[in-house]
Amino acid sequence: MPTTESPSQPAVRSRTVEMTVVAQDPGVRDHRGKIVTSRVRIPAENLRPGPRGFRVHVIDYDTSGGTLYEPLTYSYNAIGEPVDRYQNATNDIILGDPGFHAQNVYALVMHTLARFEFALGRRIRWSFQGGGHQIYIAPHAFADANAFYSPDDQALVFGYFPSRKRGTVFTCLSHDVVAHETTHALVDGLRDRFTDPSSPDQAAFHEGYSDVVALLSVFAMCEVVKTVLSNRRAANQDEESQTTLDHLIDERRLTTKALRRSLLLGLAEEMGTELASMRGDALRRSAELEPSDRYLDQDEFQEPHRRGEILVAAIMNAFLGVFTNRLKSLGRIKGRYLDRDRVAEEAAEVAGYLLTMSIRALDYTPPVHLEFGHFLSALLTADHEIRPDDSKFNFRETLRSSFLSYGIKPNSVSPDGLWSNPQVELVYERSHFEPMRYSPEEVFHFVHENREALKLDADAYTRVLSVQPCIRIAPEDGFPLRETVAQCIQQLTVRASELKLFGIGKPEGMPADLQLEIQGGLTLIFDEYGRLKFAISNHLQGSDELAARQTRRLRHLWEAGRYERGYSLGQRLSQLHRLRATGGRQFHNERW
Amino acid sequence: MAPSAKKPSALTLHVFQAGFGDCLLLSFDYGESQRKRHVLIDCGTSKMPRSPRRTSLDVAKAVSELCGGKLDAIVVSHRHGDHISGFAGKAGTLLAQLKPDLVLQPWTEDPEVAPDATSPPSPAIGTKGRATVQAIARMPAITKNALTEAIRLGVSQTVREQLEFLGETGINNPAAVRNLLDLPCKHIYAYCGSTSGLQQVLPGVKVQVLGPPTLRQSEAIAEQRKEDPDEFWHLQHRAGVHAAAKKRLFPGAKTARRSALPFETRWFLPRLERVRGEQLLQIVRILDEKLNNTSLVLLFEVGKAKLLFPGDAQIENWQYALSKAHPGSSLHSLLADVSVYKVGHHGSLNATPKTLWNMFKRKAPTPPPDRLKTVLSTLAGKHGRAQRGTEVPREKLVAALKAESDFFTTQSLAKAPYRSLCIPV
Repeated sequence: MPTTESPSQPAVRSRTVEMTVVAQDPGVRDHRGKIVTSRVRIPAENLRPGPRGFRVHVIDYDTSGGTLYEPLTYSYNAIGEPVDRYQNATNDIILGDPGFHAQNVYALVMHTLARFEFALGRRIRWSFQGGGHQIYIAPHAFADANAFYSPDDQALVFGYFPSRKRGTVFTCLSHDVVAHETTHALVDGLRDRFTDPSSPDQAAFHEGYSDVVALLSVFAMCEVVKTVLSNRRAANQDEESQTTLDHLIDERRLTTKALRRSLLLGLAEEMGTELASMRGDALRRSAELEPSDRYLDQDEFQEPHRRGEILVAAIMNAFLGVFTNRLKSLGRIKGRYLDRDRVAEEAAEVAGYLLTMSIRALDYTPPVHLEFGHFLSALLTADHEIRPDDSKFNFRETLRSSFLSYGIKPNSVSPDGLWSNPQVELVYERSHFEPMRYSPEEVFHFVHENREALKLDADAYTRVLSVQPCIRIAPEDGFPLRETVAQCIQQLTVRASELKLFGIGKPEGMPADLQLEIQGGLTLIFDEYGRLKFAISNHLQGSDELAARQTRRLRHLWEAGRYERGYSLGQRLSQLHRLRATGGRQFHNERW
Repeated sequence: MAPSAKKPSALTLHVFQAGFGDCLLLSFDYGESQRKRHVLIDCGTSKMPRSPRRTSLDVAKAVSELCGGKLDAIVVSHRHGDHISGFAGKAGTLLAQLKPDLVLQPWTEDPEVAPDATSPPSPAIGTKGRATVQAIARMPAITKNALTEAIRLGVSQTVREQLEFLGETGINNPAAVRNLLDLPCKHIYAYCGSTSGLQQVLPGVKVQVLGPPTLRQSEAIAEQRKEDPDEFWHLQHRAGVHAAAKKRLFPGAKTARRSALPFETRWFLPRLERVRGEQLLQIVRILDEKLNNTSLVLLFEVGKAKLLFPGDAQIENWQYALSKAHPGSSLHSLLADVSVYKVGHHGSLNATPKTLWNMFKRKAPTPPPDRLKTVLSTLAGKHGRAQRGTEVPREKLVAALKAESDFFTTQSLAKAPYRSLCIPV
């Protein structure tokens, strides 16, 4: 196919394009030693050198080497697609060509963004102040065993370091590292209050959730699962079995317990120890953290990076549960063997679906003070809305029991764990249908008019943060599910001595004249007729349970040093990764 | 030496002006028939006050005079320059002439645990302990490489000053380390619960080692811990070597000239360099804390007096000992009864764990005769920032020390080179 330096005027423009990326990381290789790559489908666009697209701008500047590498430039084929020159890249090119690294981060960030936009049915903004549309990516930012999201700099930065064995470890070539950091940026765009200091769960959520998205993104790639299962097979079976049953896999190795070892630990082993040393080993941990409802209360799991592992373990175990269940319906060959490629496809489908579920759940979470139980109810409800019949995967029941095995119960009061519909009379007549789909002012009008029914605090500062219309396709009937998601927050500035007016206990040692803010919030989900379907709240006050929660949260924040001046969000995220790597704890309550 | 006196009749704690550093001398009086015994605890500085100008040699001379030319033991809490720099150069030579019978250091300084040692480490330390020591041995190089890179990057004045200060403290003091190792006397390398050897040179004095814990001890109180933090520092070391050498990552790749940067990169590049500067500072800070946590923590029991010397130990070091100090335990009773507390790490925000502070039962708002004495060796304005709540000494801590103890700080030494505090025994 002929190519040009810039897209001419093609008769038909493609909307998407496939680009080659490293499927997991350069440690995962096939039986010939070739780095396993994959082709991800992302939006096609007219790229400037970088690549610099409509959401992402790669600038390959290495601060440690003081070197700005030339940007990657694409040529275009007849239908306006940028031509992927790395489709058949050798290991040497994958590791040694900065142009491939630029493509890898560009494509993986765009792929993760596209997964979020597909799941949520709308465009997602970055959270930058001033509203920038393009996130900077520095694939070789520094010689350092770290990578992080820096919102102040509107950037994702990836480090590199010399390997213990040979060559260099590039964090920008690790699919799960890139997906993890991109998820931090995306969650920050969707729920910017989730980075505020709050409960131990909220502090842990960003890190744990980013791990979940990263791991499910990896398992959603057939190539990775096939490679891991075949590599593990080669290590475990004798020569004859390998030859005769090359494309088959024994069903005895497809139990939840066996897959925990072969798939989760197997991939962790393939990835090697160097990246795990850099940022902890979420995959290994999720396989090894045996279910127990004791963790949540243990001192050690009050640290965000440790607590996040509970969330990861609950979701990854649900993934294995659904996956093994689905395998029961696959046909057997020679009595007890399954086709390996079909098994891998099934794993990818289950991972892909769970990933979509997990992303959709974000819309159904309260805007502030998230707890794991909120997220579980959000997971169940968001899925129920688009796919009431769960008989194909049995995902909801599996997730619920997996979360419960780690002591996490839904925060909703309904027996099925779903958020309940608001059973209140609401005034719709004074607001207008059309602007309610996009205008914060109009939704605020609605909220203000219905403040009593919605149990909002009349004295508090109230603000509608966002109003997002979204369209999702329901798999059962193929019709679009239209919703509008609005976030509303409330905050009150009080002195510590006034906390008792709200039934909130003052943390021990907190000065009576200390001025602080207490926050509450409400996520409003409107249906396609503009009627309120769900009001997912974490109110400021109103019940003994809410007061008890605010008391616990304030005590945690006080003990965690929240009321001391701190670092920027970027530095906090970077510090969090360092703590993961060094196994550190912060012991705020022991500090002065 | 075979001391015949049963126990000291008097005790003096000499606290030297070492600026941002520690130098303390314990002098035990055994009555007229016996010579005094002297234990030097640390001798180092990373910054002396401007006026009056003094050097480490001045401090060493004062130590020499006070101990009458003979030290019975030297305690070296950890290898940071602000605790050991006085053992190098002329001051080091003078201190070596004081012929100590014992040098007590933390287990991380044990040459048998060093990476190049030929014999296996003791079972208490294990091979993991050797990995830790190897990681510690690399820390000066990591710090030095970070400084080299930061200077080249042209980081902000604030970041540079902080890096340089931490660097001065943390960069290896090979001469001091070597001099201590070469002292012709008994060397003991201690860990929580091990013997200090000090009883042999201080009759009637009991000394408990409360820190640092070994890795096994630390792991025993962190059931789920699986990381290998030492491996992380190996990675960091390799990265630092690469960065300091300013090697091109892709030698064959085309690059842009700094003098002609493309327009679209000009907003981002300086920001990325600033981010890098902050990262370097973060790495050096973590290293600084890791070394602090190798500090010896010693509790001296002299008659009714109990003196606590924690070096620069922070909560991670204290954690194991505190886990054993549950109410009703003998350790809890001992800590509750502490009468002299050398404030940890020059009064930083996380070196006097609140759990520990709350245990001290001799704290009191008004001065009863047996009120807790606290001793702080520090120099304000050199470390941390008040606007971030990281200033050293931490104002909140100093306020509590002043309010509830007989508080002495070396900052109150105007011209005197040291203060001698009589400790009732």
